[in-house]
Amino acid sequence: MVEKLIEIVAGALRVPASTLTPETGPGDLQAWDSLAQINIVSEIEAEFGVSIPIEQVTEIQHIRDFLPYLELKS
Amino acid sequence: MNAAKCALLSNVNVESIARQIQRHEVHIAQGYGAWTQELADPASATFGLRPSTIFLIIDGAELLRGQSELQLILAELDEHLAWIERAAELSPDIKFFVSTIDVPARALRPVKEERIERRVEEHWQKGITLASASSSNLYIFDLKQLIEEFGRSHLYSNKRWYLGGLRFSTTGERLIAGELERILDAQMVARKKCLLLDLDNTLWGGVIGEDGINGIQLSETGAGARYRDFQLRIRELGKMGVILGLVSKNNEADALEVLETHEHMLLKKDDFAAMKINWSPKAENIAALAQDLDIGTDSIVFIDDNPLEREAVKSALPEVTVPDFPADTCELSSFFERVYKECFFTIESTEEDRRRTKTYLANAKRAAERTTASSIDEFLDGLRTKILLTRAGDEDFGRAAQLTQKTNQFNLTTRRYTEQELRTLQSTLGASVYIASVVDKYGDNGKVIVGILRREAPGTAELDTFLMSCRVLGRFIEDQILDHLVSELRRDGFSRLRVSFMPTRKNAPARAFVERLQGGQLVSSDTESGEQTWEFDISTASPVTKAAHAELRTTHELLAEVAS
Repeated sequence: MVEKLIEIVAGALRVPASTLTPETGPGDLQAWDSLAQINIVSEIEAEFGVSIPIEQVTEIQHIRDFLPYLELKS
Repeated sequence: MNAAKCALLSNVNVESIARQIQRHEVHIAQGYGAWTQELADPASATFGLRPSTIFLIIDGAELLRGQSELQLILAELDEHLAWIERAAELSPDIKFFVSTIDVPARALRPVKEERIERRVEEHWQKGITLASASSSNLYIFDLKQLIEEFGRSHLYSNKRWYLGGLRFSTTGERLIAGELERILDAQMVARKKCLLLDLDNTLWGGVIGEDGINGIQLSETGAGARYRDFQLRIRELGKMGVILGLVSKNNEADALEVLETHEHMLLKKDDFAAMKINWSPKAENIAALAQDLDIGTDSIVFIDDNPLEREAVKSALPEVTVPDFPADTCELSSFFERVYKECFFTIESTEEDRRRTKTYLANAKRAAERTTASSIDEFLDGLRTKILLTRAGDEDFGRAAQLTQKTNQFNLTTRRYTEQELRTLQSTLGASVYIASVVDKYGDNGKVIVGILRREAPGTAELDTFLMSCRVLGRFIEDQILDHLVSELRRDGFSRLRVSFMPTRKNAPARAFVERLQGGQLVSSDTESGEQTWEFDISTASPVTKAAHAELRTTHELLAEVAS
């Protein structure tokens, strides 16, 4: 699951997956700006068929923060 | 392939679409609400880039926001169109692609009530069709078609809209970016010149040598219509100037009999500029045809249902484009649309279109009778902008703090303040926080400007903060406000104004503002942060040179705290 997440984030940011870890977040990469954050959320929602509430989008600070939403689904 | 340079203008946020286009250089306008304004101003950043192509992606829902009177909406569309046509006329070397619009039904309403969205879509469609017919460098980008094909529920995203003013889903953005790239590619890469076709099981179903002319599948309706529809597409391609040819392993007489006598054969012998119907290897035939036609084999596309024939051609002539044939022949027509887009896509219209253009031209007078505003000044005057500048009061500090937090583009110093800090600042002797709202003929933009003045040495004021939301950028509102503050300062005995500029990755618009101020002396320059401070003598002159286009109102106690 984490690998898949990292793959999606890497695709959205156009960076190699090897540069990302579950701890990576918006503060770590210049490419991860507010627009990229929205794109990452959209891609994850589409890929996993989940919905992340709009109020919580800005609270996601690390890749691992997406995990609870995916676990909720499964 | 060389990269093309293009600009993307829109009334919604298209930055994410721009990021998807990797092969070409894409610029987007600062402040996405300002698309007509960018077009109206020959000195705008968009034209400054000297792009080869300008795309106008227009969101129908946003275009109609807050408007419900059909006649007013149509009049506004005409006005937008007039600006587009004028821009196209002034920049004949730039290709303008104007999108069709999709207007989803807006409100809950009784069934019986008219759906004005259709009227709006149709009005725009007619307008841009006319415009495209009369301007050789104005083209239609069929956004509406794309949305119809894939569906609004797939292409739009409510969440992205509320999160970032992004109208389209990631799927929608990918599709739009793909279409834009195709248009840009077409300008950089020569399209293929020639399409060579097999006959049996390609242009008809079955094998003529075995099934005979009455046994092959080719008909107006039913299963044989797969091939007739495919032929229809091929004929359309031929009309666009692509050379058609035949390469088939057959007895020539059998094949010609079908071409000449089959009632459902749409493609006739004369449609083919060259044919090799014999039993030689196809690669040899193709090479010979290329010589006959005097074209390179790299400009040939070859379609054949037989995978072995395709492989043989690919290995002997790797420069020939050989698309995979669809496994399901019901998809022949859509397969060929893809081949067209990938190999033969062209943005120029056909001769036939050009002829049709002439009849349109007779009707084009209407366009000339539309808005004839002739300069950016007239455009700005026409916006009927009103500014209300006040000292920030209790009810304003929340919004003012939010603006200092969020505004990046037009922000001279990018100093962030909290609501409490601003409240404290306002009650500090010598400091003043201003807030301004902007209304224009399209509606109320709300409170979008914050300025903070601090009194330093006697007679000297410092502009601590000056920021403005990008949605009202480009109208010189900032110049007018500064000019007003300067006159108030002068009246209250100030003779010098200090203006600082702190460069960031995003605040180029603020730099442009500082650079157009007149008469400043650079008094400090920090090599590390890049912050620069100028001092202006305001005792007799104003640093502002731009003409005002708005009506500015203030409350009279504006400078009370600074002056005391």
